[in-house]
Amino acid sequence: MLSGQGFQQVYNLSGGIQAWEGTVAEGPVELNLDMIRGDETPVEIITLAYGMEQNLGTFYRTVSARTGDSELYDLLSMLASIEDRHKGRLMELHRSVEPSPLSVEDFETRVTATLMEGGFDADEFIKRNDKYLGTVAEVLDLSLMLEAQSLDLYLRFAQETGSDETRRVLHTIGDEEKQHLEALGRLRNDRA
Amino acid sequence: MFEKLKKLFTPVESLTADEARAYINEHPEGSFTLLDVRQPNEYERAHIPGAKLIPISKLSDSYDKLDADKPVIVY
Repeated sequence: MLSGQGFQQVYNLSGGIQAWEGTVAEGPVELNLDMIRGDETPVEIITLAYGMEQNLGTFYRTVSARTGDSELYDLLSMLASIEDRHKGRLMELHRSVEPSPLSVEDFETRVTATLMEGGFDADEFIKRNDKYLGTVAEVLDLSLMLEAQSLDLYLRFAQETGSDETRRVLHTIGDEEKQHLEALGRLRNDRA
Repeated sequence: MFEKLKKLFTPVESLTADEARAYINEHPEGSFTLLDVRQPNEYERAHIPGAKLIPISKLSDSYDKLDADKPVIVY
């Protein structure tokens, strides 16, 4: 249908979603879209993303603090440090879009997000998934799920926003998340 | 008449799942559209992250929601 309507490059995914072996996201289109109004500035979106990265890092550290398994501890510490690195990238993004960028300390006073990436509440997530947080493979699977939901949410935010500039920022964040998701997938395959 | 036939028979290239995944990972977000034309309940169960949902039954009324200048990967 599209190719006859002026769309120059249309590709059909052979085999559809059943053939897709990458990570998938779940939930309706509107899931967690109430986290945004739709008219956020790039800086507001970066601040929201920073808070969600921070909360996900805290989640990994909380789980790492209670494990006696050194391999799992190392993995969770590494996952937490990746979230710290993402925060650094978001600060770079903040500096690139804001003519008068804030220091990290001042920026962090503006962070109000209570949910972690993907729109999950950390405490509730731990309660619901406690039995899946005991091994390296389980944590990697949960981490992949969280990152897929996170990528999907940023890209649905991008579809929702009315600002081209904010959309560009969300796409940049999405590109980072895609790389992270691929790296995690490779790590899981290596450990499987 | 020719235009009608063209709409019916313009060939569409297929990508395997691996090719689609590579395309998505190698191209920046915003430079292409990932389009899910299934029903909302199917999307809800599992979709490729970032896919835009426009069920096939609504597609002909929704061309304006898509950018014809960007490549579209449909599933």
